[in-house]
Amino acid sequence: MSKYVMVIDQRRCIGCMACIVACKAENDVPEEHFRTRVIQEVEGEFPKLRMELRSELCNHCDNPPCVYNCPTGASYKDKENGMVLLKKNRCVGCKACIASCPYDARYIDPRHGYADKCTFCSHRVAKGKEPACVQTCIGRSRIFGDIEDPESEVSLLLREHHHEVLKPAAGTEPNVYYINRILKG
Amino acid sequence: MTEVTITGMNSITYPHLEVWNWLVAMYLFLGGLSAGILIMSAIANLRKWPDSASGPHCEKGVMFAPFILAFGMLFIFLDLERKTNIFWFYLTLQPFSPMSWGAWGIMIIIPVSFLYALSTAPPESRHNLRFGVLIKLSDMMWPHMKRLAMISFGLGIFLGIYTGVLLSNMLARPLWNSPILPVLFLTSASSTGAAFLIIVARRAAVKLFYTKLDIWLIFAEIVIIVLFFYGQYNSSVSSKASIMPFFTLSHEFFFYFFAVFLMAVLLPLALVMKLIEMREDHADVLSEATIFRMNLSAVMVLTGGLIIRLALIYAGQLVKFM
Ligand code: SF4
Ligand code: SF4
Repeated sequence: MSKYVMVIDQRRCIGCMACIVACKAENDVPEEHFRTRVIQEVEGEFPKLRMELRSELCNHCDNPPCVYNCPTGASYKDKENGMVLLKKNRCVGCKACIASCPYDARYIDPRHGYADKCTFCSHRVAKGKEPACVQTCIGRSRIFGDIEDPESEVSLLLREHHHEVLKPAAGTEPNVYYINRILKG
Repeated sequence: MTEVTITGMNSITYPHLEVWNWLVAMYLFLGGLSAGILIMSAIANLRKWPDSASGPHCEKGVMFAPFILAFGMLFIFLDLERKTNIFWFYLTLQPFSPMSWGAWGIMIIIPVSFLYALSTAPPESRHNLRFGVLIKLSDMMWPHMKRLAMISFGLGIFLGIYTGVLLSNMLARPLWNSPILPVLFLTSASSTGAAFLIIVARRAAVKLFYTKLDIWLIFAEIVIIVLFFYGQYNSSVSSKASIMPFFTLSHEFFFYFFAVFLMAVLLPLALVMKLIEMREDHADVLSEATIFRMNLSAVMVLTGGLIIRLALIYAGQLVKFM
């Protein structure tokens, strides 16, 4: 069994936003909505400034409140690969999953009314390809792979680097890891 | 100094989450109201009354409960983005989803409360039910009124708590994520139920009985609201930030401040009015002025219940888990 994760190496992101465009094009994401975003955060007083570029997306959490709160079973965690996915035909558009996600990773597709979010491009992964954002990332800041395979690039990176997840206190056990994140608190 | 630039923010989550609105607040209010009616009418019908005229079957106001609940469901239905998929609620039971429990619960509560309401129709006025089948059902249910009242009491508690759990389950929204919220919703639901029954009850003894109960409920509600804010204030940064809109007197948050102000006026005022009613020596027939005062304080309680839900629904989406 595999478990897919994404590693975001923040040292390599140049803030080109190509991932956002690639994702929108690949997944036909509706206007005004996004499956991934890039946050540019500048902290400190001039001249002592530090900038963080941080890509955010659905964390495909191991303890996903969006799945637990879904009343119809439309949101589910795929046991085969660890991805949090959607059976769109089951979704009633109650928005419980959106309200329960601490990362604001979901949106309602206004054209169809169902909830939607990043799928790690599961349709591409099924064909052995990388997610569109990963493939397009010019600085190789986004790295995708199977954490269960000890020789995979993600496993090696996570073994060798200090890494963090977003909002660990939320207890959602995210599967998107950040290398070189500004330590908070 | 912190400067944040976000490229690719969802319009639904920026500048803050905007997923649930007054439709959900109405659903929670009406669900709570019907829960309160069930709980309160069960208490009235199960208790021993000193005078036989007000004995069991004294409370017929329960007939509103299934209709109010069904009307409340209409609001949540309107809020669904894919209404044609509603049947999926009933093709699965998701054990960790309060909404799933609620959907199933309501499917049980509506028919049970309807049968309970039929069981309270006295033989002399049963012909008012119009349809033969209803009259027959009422005949059948009449002997089981106490049992149905007990079941309805339990279902009312479930429904009242559920409306709070629906929100308190959301860790991502710190204003809602408090274990005291379901308790607040249940208390407020019971209080609005009592207020509604005060308005529809005909007999003085019954009106006074609910007035007495509502005094305790309003008192409990005020204490719980204060504890709720106090608890949030002394909790995590996110919890503290989540209540700030209620205490920030800027035009942006004016409605939240106004909601707290209204609660601080309405609930104590309703409480005082009820206390005055209890002090007076009431005869079997209440004077018009007394009835007016009772109804006015009941309307205040109902308004307060609605304000609590509206304010919590909207304010709960301003601050997220940090
Ligand atoms: S990031 Fe949000 S939507 Fe994605 S799995 Fe976690 S809780 Fe669910
Ligand atoms: S909006 Fe759809 S996916 Fe989200 S909780 Fe409701 S039914 Fe489930």
